Amino acid sequence: MSPLRDLQRDFQRYVTQRDDAMRNQVVDTAQVSAETRLAIYADGYRLRLLEALEDTYPALKQYLGESRFTAAGLAYIDAHPSTYPSIRWFGDCMAAFLRSDASPCDEPVVAELAAFEWSLRGAFDDADQAVTTLEDIAAIPPEEWPVMHITLHPSVRRLDLQWNTTSIWNALEDGATPEPPEQGEYPTPYVIWRHELQQYFRSLPVDEAWALDQAATGMAFGDLCEGLCEWVDAEHVATRAAGFLQQWTVDGLVCAVATS
Amino acid sequence: MTAATTSDKRPYLGFGLGLRTDHYEEILARRPKVDWFEIISENYMVAGGKPLYYLDRIREHYPMVMHGVSMSIGGADSLDRDYLHQLKALAERVQPHWISDHLCWTGVDGKNLHDLMPLPYTEEAIQHVAKRVAEVQDYLERPFLLENVSSYVTYTRSQLSEWEFLTAVAEEADCHILLDINNIYVSAFNHGFEPREYIDRIPIERVYQFHLAGHTNHGDYIIDTHDHPVIDPVWELFAYAARRFGPVSTMIERDDNIPPLDELLTELVQAQAIAEPIYAEAAA
Ligand SMILES: [Fe+2]
Repeated sequence: MSPLRDLQRDFQRYVTQRDDAMRNQVVDTAQVSAETRLAIYADGYRLRLLEALEDTYPALKQYLGESRFTAAGLAYIDAHPSTYPSIRWFGDCMAAFLRSDASPCDEPVVAELAAFEWSLRGAFDDADQAVTTLEDIAAIPPEEWPVMHITLHPSVRRLDLQWNTTSIWNALEDGATPEPPEQGEYPTPYVIWRHELQQYFRSLPVDEAWALDQAATGMAFGDLCEGLCEWVDAEHVATRAAGFLQQWTVDGLVCAVATS
Repeated sequence: MTAATTSDKRPYLGFGLGLRTDHYEEILARRPKVDWFEIISENYMVAGGKPLYYLDRIREHYPMVMHGVSMSIGGADSLDRDYLHQLKALAERVQPHWISDHLCWTGVDGKNLHDLMPLPYTEEAIQHVAKRVAEVQDYLERPFLLENVSSYVTYTRSQLSEWEFLTAVAEEADCHILLDINNIYVSAFNHGFEPREYIDRIPIERVYQFHLAGHTNHGDYIIDTHDHPVIDPVWELFAYAARRFGPVSTMIERDDNIPPLDELLTELVQAQAIAEPIYAEAAA
């Protein structure tokens, strides 16, 4: 083992766990003790990562308030040290952490709020791709529609939310007081995406959510129609499916359409 | 040791600023008089969206250099190939004049502390860093600069001064130096050395870039926060460095508490007003 690696391990253990082994590897001065000097690194570490979490989860921070957010953030920092070159990804396990027993928050809505914000953050800088237009769709001959399938924009994400998470998020976004958390009888499906440089989200009826999930896997339009019969009369199913496709296209969710 | 880089004439870009998201729109709308921008490489290692949109548009009008915070050139783990791959891909997009990172380590055993951790000033560390810089330079195929960091601790095992260490690494690795004038000031204050002596010992031809920044003074120690204007003693040290090194591409580095663009432009004009008469006098 190299002395350099030993030193870095000791220092890292000090920063992340306040382990003592670093204490006598650092020089005291008359002005500033070794403890104070080392603490600059340990304190800076937590502050910097907390700031990164605030940046990714502004609504969560508002919802929890300063002290509860800090408690949750510090617990997360201890449980999930960063392994990423970019601090932008540091909060990736926050929703799962808040759902876990290790979380100091026992309100289930906060994990959903984190999942929702992480999805918005993801849509923000996901890959760019030109979107399909209604003309592109119209150019597909009707007899080929049954085998037509689409590719969704890389920024498209799906979430099923149990709580009134998006109302809470909207209120926080507007600086208003959010309504109290309320659990729905069934989860509400949501789609989140970026169009041009703006992120969007909207709720989906159950049949549309199912269709979007299947379309994302490459299911052909004909098979989508068949599957939609679970919710829609056979005579209306093609209209319903075509309506979805039109809406997705106009919203910028679709970036390719093919028949082979 | 080769002399390849030392014989090259140092490129000079003039006076630049760090590119910050708060200023994207204004830069495009106003095209302020800034000679070049420095980007934080990691902020643009994303697939798409706003960061790359603005990067490409601003790059159309300004030269750029790339400045990274996560290479961990002094880290004990092997170099992160995936990171270097992303860095090279970004450089293809940006076509920077050079790429820089810090003479530090950022984590070990796969972790990232997202901080610039100081290295012990030892022969082992010199050899370790030099070998890795050679790998990085071979891979990136662009000029590579190492920056001196601010530090708050002195390791008992260090055998050299910071400037001896920085110089030895740059010579051994045959790379360039990004000299952060504020970091010299901060470390000099924290460790009780003479900042001018530091500047006097750095090999002139290796210094390609200066950083100027503000910091937070806690009385007994100073923390390099980059959230305040440059203070007078740092301006004086900058003038001293300008006399020694001659024209070196200089920029204001503000990472936090980002002020309006005009405020940074005023600081940049101040840097110019200090350095240009010194350069002119030396040239006469
Ligand atoms: Fe710097």
